[in-house]
Amino acid sequence: MRAPLSWLREYVTVDPSAGEIARRLAISALEVERVIDVGVPDVDGNLGRFLVGSVLEARPHANADRLRVCQVDVGEGHPRQIVCGAWNFEAGATVAVALPGALLPVLDQPLREVELRGQQSRGMILAEDEVGLGEDHAGIMVLPRGPEPGTPLHDVLPIHDQVLDVVPTPNRVDLLSMVGLAREVAALLDGDLHPPAPQDPPVVDGEPVVVTVEDPAGCPRYIGRVFRDVKIGPSPQWLRSRLYLAEMRSISNVVDVTNYVMHVWGSPLHAFDRARLAGGRIVVRRARPGEELRTLDGTLRRLETSDLMITDGERSVALAAIMGGEESEVGDETTEILLEAANFEPIGILRSSERLALRTAGSNRWEKGVDPYLAEPAAVLASRMLVDLADAGMTGHVDVHERLPERPVVRLRPERTEHVLGRTLAAEDQRLTLEKLGFEVNQDWTVTVPTWRARDVTREIDLVEEIARPILDAIPHTMPLRRHVRGRLSRDQRLRRLVEDVLVGAGFLEAYTWSLVASDPDPAAVRLPDPMSADQAVLRTTLLPGLVDAARTGLDTGAEDLALFEIARVYLPSGEQLPDERWHLGGILEGGYAETKGVLETLYGALHLDLRVRRGSHRQLHPGKTAETDAGAFGELHPCVLERTWGAFELDLATLFAPVPERIVYEDVITYPAVRQDIAVAVDEDVEVGALVEAAHEAAGPLLREARVFDVYRGEQLDGDRKSVALRLSFQSPERTLTDAEAAELRGAIIALLRARFGGELRA
Amino acid sequence: MSEKQEIDPATVAAVDPEALEETAMRAVREATSTEDLDRVRVEYLGRKSQLKLALREVRDRNTGMQLNKFREALEMAISVRQEELRQLELDRRLAEERVDVTIPGTPVRRGHLHLITQIRREFEDIFLGLGYTVVDGREVETTHYNFDALNFPLVHPTRSPLHTLFLDEHTVLRTETSPSQIRTMETQEPPVYIVSPGRCYRRDTPDATHTPIFHQVEGLAVDEGITLADLEGTLDYLLRELFGQERRSQFVTHYFPFTEPSIEALVSCHICDGSGCPVCRHSGWIEVGGAGMVDPNVLEFVGYDAERYTGFAFGWGLERIAVLRHGIPDLRELWRNDPRLLRQF
Repeated sequence: MRAPLSWLREYVTVDPSAGEIARRLAISALEVERVIDVGVPDVDGNLGRFLVGSVLEARPHANADRLRVCQVDVGEGHPRQIVCGAWNFEAGATVAVALPGALLPVLDQPLREVELRGQQSRGMILAEDEVGLGEDHAGIMVLPRGPEPGTPLHDVLPIHDQVLDVVPTPNRVDLLSMVGLAREVAALLDGDLHPPAPQDPPVVDGEPVVVTVEDPAGCPRYIGRVFRDVKIGPSPQWLRSRLYLAEMRSISNVVDVTNYVMHVWGSPLHAFDRARLAGGRIVVRRARPGEELRTLDGTLRRLETSDLMITDGERSVALAAIMGGEESEVGDETTEILLEAANFEPIGILRSSERLALRTAGSNRWEKGVDPYLAEPAAVLASRMLVDLADAGMTGHVDVHERLPERPVVRLRPERTEHVLGRTLAAEDQRLTLEKLGFEVNQDWTVTVPTWRARDVTREIDLVEEIARPILDAIPHTMPLRRHVRGRLSRDQRLRRLVEDVLVGAGFLEAYTWSLVASDPDPAAVRLPDPMSADQAVLRTTLLPGLVDAARTGLDTGAEDLALFEIARVYLPSGEQLPDERWHLGGILEGGYAETKGVLETLYGALHLDLRVRRGSHRQLHPGKTAETDAGAFGELHPCVLERTWGAFELDLATLFAPVPERIVYEDVITYPAVRQDIAVAVDEDVEVGALVEAAHEAAGPLLREARVFDVYRGEQLDGDRKSVALRLSFQSPERTLTDAEAAELRGAIIALLRARFGGELRA
Repeated sequence: MSEKQEIDPATVAAVDPEALEETAMRAVREATSTEDLDRVRVEYLGRKSQLKLALREVRDRNTGMQLNKFREALEMAISVRQEELRQLELDRRLAEERVDVTIPGTPVRRGHLHLITQIRREFEDIFLGLGYTVVDGREVETTHYNFDALNFPLVHPTRSPLHTLFLDEHTVLRTETSPSQIRTMETQEPPVYIVSPGRCYRRDTPDATHTPIFHQVEGLAVDEGITLADLEGTLDYLLRELFGQERRSQFVTHYFPFTEPSIEALVSCHICDGSGCPVCRHSGWIEVGGAGMVDPNVLEFVGYDAERYTGFAFGWGLERIAVLRHGIPDLRELWRNDPRLLRQF
């Protein structure tokens, strides 16, 4: 919301500068996006070069069809001659004049005296866009009669101003108004508050106003006022300028009044062309099935029975609180209006505006819950302005409401404030803060909440916040006592960091890929019913496709020897409301099966785990080069997935971590030397070397410390479908030095079992 | 040729021990390489050397002692010279083995943690040091945990499918890490000191400052006597740890459903140090994240005694820290997985 400071200062008398006001508001009230300087620069007495002038004479220029030569009294004793291109005024008009030397936002250099086709021009008669008060350049500003020629223009129009661009939090709808902001400024900066309090115009030629509210829950209050003899026309310059600075468009005096008053009081209003209402009546009800309404923006809206409508008893004339209907719109021909100053309940308005994707300045306020008591001052101010500016007469008034909400009464314990804030704060200071904000604090510390905060402040803690807001920059900085704490990562969190570090040590880059994907291999994967895009529609059950995409990105950048990993959640369908969320580790690296397995061996080794594998299968992996472990799968990437040769793995971390030993117990591998022996055994091609190693361990028992395959040979010296597997055996006892005879016996047992189980022939 | 050699008595008789010693010692001194010295050793101490022959033939005790003494002296001299020459040769060789020290090393593939992981760990470590534990939350949540238990009013915009990704009427992708507050408090009695990092989801169209998936760290402390001053003190410490000891903090009012009072933490601008510049929109301060005192409704919801216990909570975006601290110009870069970017951090 835009709040011009000149306007704000009309409601609050306060010394500090715009910067200080903005700073204080930002700490204690709402977000201040920025302070915007508008209008003509306020430097070197520049404002003094803008004066009110009275046109004494306006003659056509003898040498220029489009220009006129004017004599303008600017209070100097003798008139100034000014050549002007505008034709929307005559002699006698009061205008705004800039004198030579004036700095204008639209000019690069100071205004100069010039000769225009033979006529001296010693100044400029101003249009609103030339001083930053509007966008209209069709004519100059014609001011109301009143100010004497020579009056500083700044006294009449805000030709220099600073505008606060503020964003209140959703609980502070009261700050979406000039009066609310003024109240806050008065409280925070010790100012005097004086909200507008015009005299309510009298009802003349009284007539009944028929307003029926069929849905008082949706519309707790409806003030309807009727005005006749309305003269639709442009708004006066001061009103146009204020609306412009507040980022609202000037439309006509009547519409401008409703917008202006909304900005002043924060309670939106609407004006209907009463002649378009059947019987001049208002009936507030929910929409009927199949009902439609063409709103002011020209769109035909299909309504639902939950939408609250303003009707004339026969058909809808407005989408309540959101937008008026086109048919009952106030236009140039309007002479009779019905002014609506009502109150609407937020939830229904929010639902309707969201469903229709129709958000307006009005709905933005209503959906946050506007104080129903504001309808009245808003109606009074608007009525006063309609009478003053549109020459209208108020002929009727009705205020339909049930019992308006009581003001909440909350008990405050001043010591509780200190307990929550962590500093001392005199009870009297707390009282003073609350009173400045409009709360009534009674002797027994019961606090009556003002109507405009009734939705937001209902509990003691809410009062504590009110007291805390102004002193947020005066709270000491302490640390919690933490008598009982235990700051340590859990076992799985430590292991997860270990995995990250091992992979980084092995040269892997950590990738972050989206949890939402276009499709997933699991047809039961959880699907969003209303995704943002088709690319992010399914909660993934596997990390590999994302990593493949990441690898492709890497390839596109020309990366060589790339290795990527990610640790992230997958979401496995569980058949219950919430999927089974599991941490997965995924990796992809340029290289074949052996490189991939090497990475897995390193990882398992770091976790003190044996990597035990069996042949497996996986959609994205090479069918002949895929292995499974208890925790997942790895292998060479299927050649169709990515160009060049890649390996990939995906493991479930909880499964991976489950067997990790809590602690490693010392084993003597030093005192007694190991006896090493190599054997080579010829077996059939389809015997897996892993089975040979397992059999070796089975045959030799714990004294076989390690059996490692160091060569696999296929060639002429062997029968066609046989291979020779070379094993390095390492026998060791933690208790004694093994004798050659013992080693030979163990070796013999291994060879015997390999022969018996696999038909293995000893070759060396 | 036979190993055995006839000894010529004339030769033996001709040995003059002193002259021999002088010649030998000179030869040792003049040897310029270990190879030279080896030749000297063979000549004067070898099996066929005059000395060896003389020793073999000598009969009188005095001459024998003299010859032995000479032999010992010569052996000592050779050994000393040997050491000198070895050192000289090593120095010469090392001097010749100069490399161009500016030649690049043999590359070793080096991995990198993602920037967000690095920041996550930093957060975790800061709070582990303060005695907090790290807990894991869920990403798919019930509306109960994501909204109701966190005191979201029915009209709060985040409850709308315009802002939140729903799986069904009662299930959402969590919009903040705060549901893990509830899940933690439900399973333990106070005191609670936790941080909880993780992915969050909002229906934000991707642009330079928004991605529909982002990361937060939730912090929660509930104990007897936790105050707003404790919150400001903790966040001031956190801000300085993250952004530098010279930075200053400021706290301004805000609104969140689950905290009361609610605040926003700001850090003094790193560009202008508080005097105002375009980066901080001329305010001197940059917003980092939201926080507040845990709303009594939230405490009561999990069955805590809100009179006895108070608490504070905060939920900060990790991407925001990355942007502010590392100048990431566009959040989408963090998801692009371009190796050139990943290797920068």
